[in-house]
Amino acid sequence: MKNGYITMRSTTFGALLLAGTVLTSVGAQAADGIAKGDTSGKTIAFSNSYAGNSFRQVMIRSFEETGAQAAKDHLIKSTAVVSANNSVTEQASQIQNLILQGYSAIVVLAGSDTALNGVVKDACDAGIVVVAFASGVTEPCAYRVDYDLDSYGKAELDYLAGRLGQGPENLLEIRGAAGDGFDKRLHAGVEKAMKDHPTFKIVNEVYGAWTSTVAQKEVSGVLPSLPKIDGVLTQGGDGYGAAMAFEGAGRPLPIIVMGNRQDELALWKKQHQSNGYETMSLGATPSVSQVAFWVAQQILAGKQVPKFVEVPLLRIDQGDLDAWLAKVPEGGVVNATYDQPLVADIIDANVDHKPLPGVPAPK
Amino acid sequence: MSQRFFRLPSVRPSLAPWTYGFIVALAMWIATTAYAGLGSAGATVASALAFGAFSVVVGTGQMLVVASGPGNIDLSVPSVLTLAAYASMTVMHGSDGLILPGLAAALALGAGAGALNYLAITALRLPPIIATLAWSFVFQSLAFNFGGEATLKPPAALAGFTALQVGGLRVMPLAVMALTLVAALALRRTLFGRRLLATGQSERAADLAGVRVGRVRLLAYMLCGAAAALTGFLLSGFTGGAALNMGDAYLLESIAVVVLGGTSVAGGQANAVGIWGAALFFNLMGTMLNTFHLQAGVRFLLTGTLIILIVAIVPRPRAA
Repeated sequence: MKNGYITMRSTTFGALLLAGTVLTSVGAQAADGIAKGDTSGKTIAFSNSYAGNSFRQVMIRSFEETGAQAAKDHLIKSTAVVSANNSVTEQASQIQNLILQGYSAIVVLAGSDTALNGVVKDACDAGIVVVAFASGVTEPCAYRVDYDLDSYGKAELDYLAGRLGQGPENLLEIRGAAGDGFDKRLHAGVEKAMKDHPTFKIVNEVYGAWTSTVAQKEVSGVLPSLPKIDGVLTQGGDGYGAAMAFEGAGRPLPIIVMGNRQDELALWKKQHQSNGYETMSLGATPSVSQVAFWVAQQILAGKQVPKFVEVPLLRIDQGDLDAWLAKVPEGGVVNATYDQPLVADIIDANVDHKPLPGVPAPK
Repeated sequence: MSQRFFRLPSVRPSLAPWTYGFIVALAMWIATTAYAGLGSAGATVASALAFGAFSVVVGTGQMLVVASGPGNIDLSVPSVLTLAAYASMTVMHGSDGLILPGLAAALALGAGAGALNYLAITALRLPPIIATLAWSFVFQSLAFNFGGEATLKPPAALAGFTALQVGGLRVMPLAVMALTLVAALALRRTLFGRRLLATGQSERAADLAGVRVGRVRLLAYMLCGAAAALTGFLLSGFTGGAALNMGDAYLLESIAVVVLGGTSVAGGQANAVGIWGAALFFNLMGTMLNTFHLQAGVRFLLTGTLIILIVAIVPRPRAA
């Protein structure tokens, strides 16, 4: 498992930061730290496909806060956020409007891998920097900022293997929404990783829509038909509902990989205190919108950025549980702040094919 | 008004339309059990009853609106459900002592939302589809502001009640069954029920007969809002809190269970008991398709096909 970087401590992290800021005048393609080009007159818009869940709400707020601070620091002139209601056509027309309004860069959380290609191309042709994040956009002119979902599935299965051993074990996979790009790629990652664990068997899969209520309903529906479940693979937001379903059916709690939600972590802690229950939590951070923001800003400032920038996942293990739980708001999602130096480091690590700087646990 | 207004046309003496949901649900239960083994039968039906109960509460409210006349429908149900869940969780603040005020807040909010819906329909002369859809955006935005970034947790006693089992039977579905009986009786025996169906059959005739049509519809929309709010309240107790997208699944489902349950979309004819059959059908279909390990695309295909098929074979209930 390539997750060493995630548990990296803050000293190394600080050193990396320092290294990032010192190395400012190396050649164009090498890791060159923060680009200092003047971007005080530039504008960055965020086109969001959907705002109807708590994750997206925090994502929008993270973007707005960073944008406001950057404007105050004269790193940017202004930002704007527009959300479509899960409709790709609506999102496409919103991006058209942003192009007409003359934004310097548009950060996109795309509702579809392909349906926005036309309008993304229009934006590029108009000289606008397009950064698609946490979603695939196949139009090659766009920069992409995303997680490597192969490593998501691999981390889940490697953890389960570490806990359960390589005996025959029954797993339940909770997927997101059918046809969704994130779900497809994460599921592909799980399928790839399953090849390394031939004794594991995924006895069924259900679609939980990353929502506790849906996951609870779907898992409750299939549980009666399933044998004893040893582990549950999740995609985030569905772990609590899955636990409620097992509880409701009077079954023992399997190892459910959690997804960085406060209710999941609280449940994990409660179970740990009463019976030593252990698991791990893995997830995207809503503040990935900040990474996209800074990537766009850095491109505008003249930094050479690869077309794909991988962002590290945020992982919580037993040892860090209390620290993270203390920091996450009641009912919220674990979040971390990505500032300009950290994002420059992430870009540089991508350029140099080095391990990504991790998100350190709060102290 | 005489009884014949409420009788189904007796051209097809075979089975009443509302029984089809139960029959198909039973078939799916048998199919699922056959695939997964006899041991799963009880748990499968228990799970379908528990989750079906929520669809029934929403659906019963929707039924009143649909029955109140052609074109009447409430599309704001999912957002009223979500908003009421947030409002009641905020009022209760996780405290067992505040459950009743929380319930009252949810119901008041739901009834208020229903009144606003009806107001937009009459005062602004908007078609119900537009009026309720427009309000649903307003309610959803309010829910975003209420607690958009967090899942608010329910008091322990409420969570306990929604999961309560006595002698292996869940209490909540039984309570909802009682509610269904009340609704069925109200439709047949109370003045409101009679007036509602009369209004739905012919607004003009009801008006001439002295029914205050506007008031009846207003009450139908308010009850629908209150039912959605009650669902939000119970659902957040059952699933561990209010979440922004908790209502999403209930838009299509609230309408589908009403229609499959034997209520006429043309209005003037309603069936409360049939909603249970349709709700069980929906839940057991999901379970069956999941149990069969079908690809998501195939699941959607079968879901759509089955709904069309069943609506097509069910004898059409007609308003008089």
